[in-house]
Amino acid sequence: MVYLPPPQQATSSTPSYPQAYHRILTAHRRSKTTSPSSVSILIAPDVDALCAARMLADLLKQDDIMYSIIPVSGIDNLEAVRDDLMDSPELHTLILLNIGSILDLPSPEWFGDFPQADLSVHIVDSARPQNLSSLFGTGPGSERIVVWDDGGASKLQEERNAWLALENEPEPNSDSDEDSDDDLDPPSDEELAPDSDEDEYHQEAGGRKRRSLGDGDPFVERKGKRRRTRLSRGDREVHTRRIQKHYTAGTWFGQSASGTMYVLATVLERVDNELLWLAILGLTYQYTSSRISRDIYERNHSLYHDEVVRLNPPGPQNAFQANGITTITPDDTSIRATEELRFTLFRHWTLYDAMYHSSYVNSKLGIWKEKGRKRLTGLLAKMGFAQAETQQSYSHMSLAVKNNLVHQLESIAPEYAMTELNYPSFVRARGWKGQGMSAADEVDVLATIMDVAYGYKMEVEIEGGRNGGEWFGGGKVWEGRQASRLTHRKDHERENIPPGDASNRARQKSSTEDGVEVDEPPEGSKQDLPWWQQNFWAAFDALSDWSQLNRALPLCISLHRAIIRQGTSVIDKHLIKTMRSHRVVILSQGPDLALFSNPGPLSRLALWLVDALRDRVGNAPNARGRARKSLPFVVACLNEETETFIVVGIMAAKEFGDVSRNEFGLAFLDAKDRCNARTKHVSFDTSVLEINKGDLNVFLETLCDGPEG
Amino acid sequence: MSSARTPGDLATQLVTESRRSILTITLLKYNDTLVRSLIREQRDLEKAAAPYTHSATPPPALLIIQTIIAQNKRCLLAYHSQRLDHLITMYWSGGCSLPHVLQSDMRAKMSPHEVDFLKEYHGSVMEFRGEFEMDIDVTSGIESPPRELNVLVRVVRECGEIQTEGGVVDFKMGQRYQVRRTDIEHLIVQGYLEEV
Repeated sequence: MVYLPPPQQATSSTPSYPQAYHRILTAHRRSKTTSPSSVSILIAPDVDALCAARMLADLLKQDDIMYSIIPVSGIDNLEAVRDDLMDSPELHTLILLNIGSILDLPSPEWFGDFPQADLSVHIVDSARPQNLSSLFGTGPGSERIVVWDDGGASKLQEERNAWLALENEPEPNSDSDEDSDDDLDPPSDEELAPDSDEDEYHQEAGGRKRRSLGDGDPFVERKGKRRRTRLSRGDREVHTRRIQKHYTAGTWFGQSASGTMYVLATVLERVDNELLWLAILGLTYQYTSSRISRDIYERNHSLYHDEVVRLNPPGPQNAFQANGITTITPDDTSIRATEELRFTLFRHWTLYDAMYHSSYVNSKLGIWKEKGRKRLTGLLAKMGFAQAETQQSYSHMSLAVKNNLVHQLESIAPEYAMTELNYPSFVRARGWKGQGMSAADEVDVLATIMDVAYGYKMEVEIEGGRNGGEWFGGGKVWEGRQASRLTHRKDHERENIPPGDASNRARQKSSTEDGVEVDEPPEGSKQDLPWWQQNFWAAFDALSDWSQLNRALPLCISLHRAIIRQGTSVIDKHLIKTMRSHRVVILSQGPDLALFSNPGPLSRLALWLVDALRDRVGNAPNARGRARKSLPFVVACLNEETETFIVVGIMAAKEFGDVSRNEFGLAFLDAKDRCNARTKHVSFDTSVLEINKGDLNVFLETLCDGPEG
Repeated sequence: MSSARTPGDLATQLVTESRRSILTITLLKYNDTLVRSLIREQRDLEKAAAPYTHSATPPPALLIIQTIIAQNKRCLLAYHSQRLDHLITMYWSGGCSLPHVLQSDMRAKMSPHEVDFLKEYHGSVMEFRGEFEMDIDVTSGIESPPRELNVLVRVVRECGEIQTEGGVVDFKMGQRYQVRRTDIEHLIVQGYLEEV
């Protein structure tokens, strides 16, 4: 068995997370060499994986294990990293965070034929569906694959049987007994042989050969039995269909990777506030990026809520402000449960702006239109807040307003059909170092750092620029590099100058003294990193450094502005083309094109559009006749530099907080096959695609004609 | 003694160079020509002073020449001692590793004597270190005392595969490594890695 059930489902005979973790430890301690390349952690660039990596790194550090962390941007990159790792003789443990559960990992294409004999590959991935051969495979390659599952795999008994049956039954038409098919593609109908009688002989031969090669595990026995009762053609068809259904039902998300890590930490009894907060971030990320539904969120939330109460006993003064946090001691970093309003960053912005940029408020009020904006001011007026007050940044708002906010909203907002204005969440205090931050805000900022901190120049508002302040209308380009320059200065003060750079550094210093901005750190080496790696590490550092998070807040605000700007213009200009089964938006011009040619911001824009139009378009007159149906969204954005389009597909759930399975992964592949478009997956998300400029139209047409056509 | 220049001019130039070097914390190229012409000036000055030295009542001119000679000597010594100080600082901040200091571009800036000096200095330091071999490593830094045995480092410059106690590590840009501090201490000091 190569998948691990969560500890609460594990019996004494089946290993679970802690056993797998201890296996890593013993492997490390037993090996003669303990260099960091022996344990490698591969991380996908998303907030959940980031938090999980941080947690795992913490645990490994406590156990005195050397490790290396390698960020991986996508499938292409993973292949390159894999080739590198193959050459590393010391590698014995590979941990994949939010990477690769869909890939056929035991196959020689991936980790099947690594030269390292005692290699084990651990997969902690929230993406579903999982690849069956990783889960159930029994070949020599799959021994080393360990999938950390959330209990979903044990429910896949039918799939398991079907897969085993098909796998052990060599296809009637082939004499080869290849153990692993390329399971990324669902098994096609061709596998069903037209006539199987005459090939029976070959099969028998193949089967016998295998049995003799088997190393005596119980599975071989079963294999033998099944051989005798050969699958009928009907059975085969049933099995194939079963598996096909497993792969084609769309993608969804299971337990977050950081959640898995938290479970591990719980079983190891090493839980602390830091780990808990990271796990909460992972969960919140899944919820705010519409990966899990409200129900699942609440189920997990209640678990974490108990943990929060356990680890953060309520202090003497229990009367916290409704949404702010009062810190009692200078180093009070406790986590507290709150009701989080669905306003964007409202603790760090003005109330008006926070509501204006919130996708929930947007979908209910229709903010992109003049009428909607009037409705928003109306709402605020009804609640009895002065306009000047709502334009004030949250920290400067009067206490009365702050305390009244939730209460007032609850009584007035239902008039505007906003009934789900808040959801249970957490905030974390930061002692006296700064204002506390809620989980949702922190996730938002982290995601922003990961998307746009480097690689794209973004204007941010200067503080004091609002309300006709001194710097009114001024903006400056956000600099992520400030941090790195600071460290270089620090180096300088330490007089720890490597001789080679002494002259360079000095030159740099003198020019900064002259007031000339030096853009590049001396070696220019950091700049050699691809932008996504820089972003990844910036986010990784920001997880433990509040000042960096704070610095990125304006960036996040700018991103929200850009999204609403672009979204409004999309709706205003009627760029949304409604096809039979999809809604399609193609962005090929505009000021923010460069920004939205990244998958991250583009997905956010798509989510915003989905939210914005959920209640609107369904009620439009042309759709009045039939039942309200939300069509999936396809958003494409031109990348001018590479002459390609980034395409993102988002399923539109009917209700807010609902999530439906994303079927785009397959639909994209399908459409690609039918029109031979030149496409490539840029990230691990199968619903994000890069496609050549010329091929876009034909691709979209094929996509929209859809499987029905 | 050249008539075009005031004697002592060259010495001032040399000192100015030293000062520049101090202010910019840079090792400038060893100014061989200037040093040579200064020495030549010294000889000329001595020649000029020679006729007066044996007279019973030396003229005031001798006093002036004498002062210039002394001044030149001071400047020459100052120039060289500043350079040596710089080299020694570099040597220590580079973790007492000779090849690191004697990189090609640095080497080009040194005079052969300075290279010899560094080599001998290195020899002396190593000998000194050898005395405490069992107890303490006198060459390791004292500015940032280590807080833990292992550190998480990021790679600032590619430095290829490094043989450590635990095995070979191939440090690559854009990745982070948790490593035993003692193994890579020198790489941090030399600026290849950076502690996170």
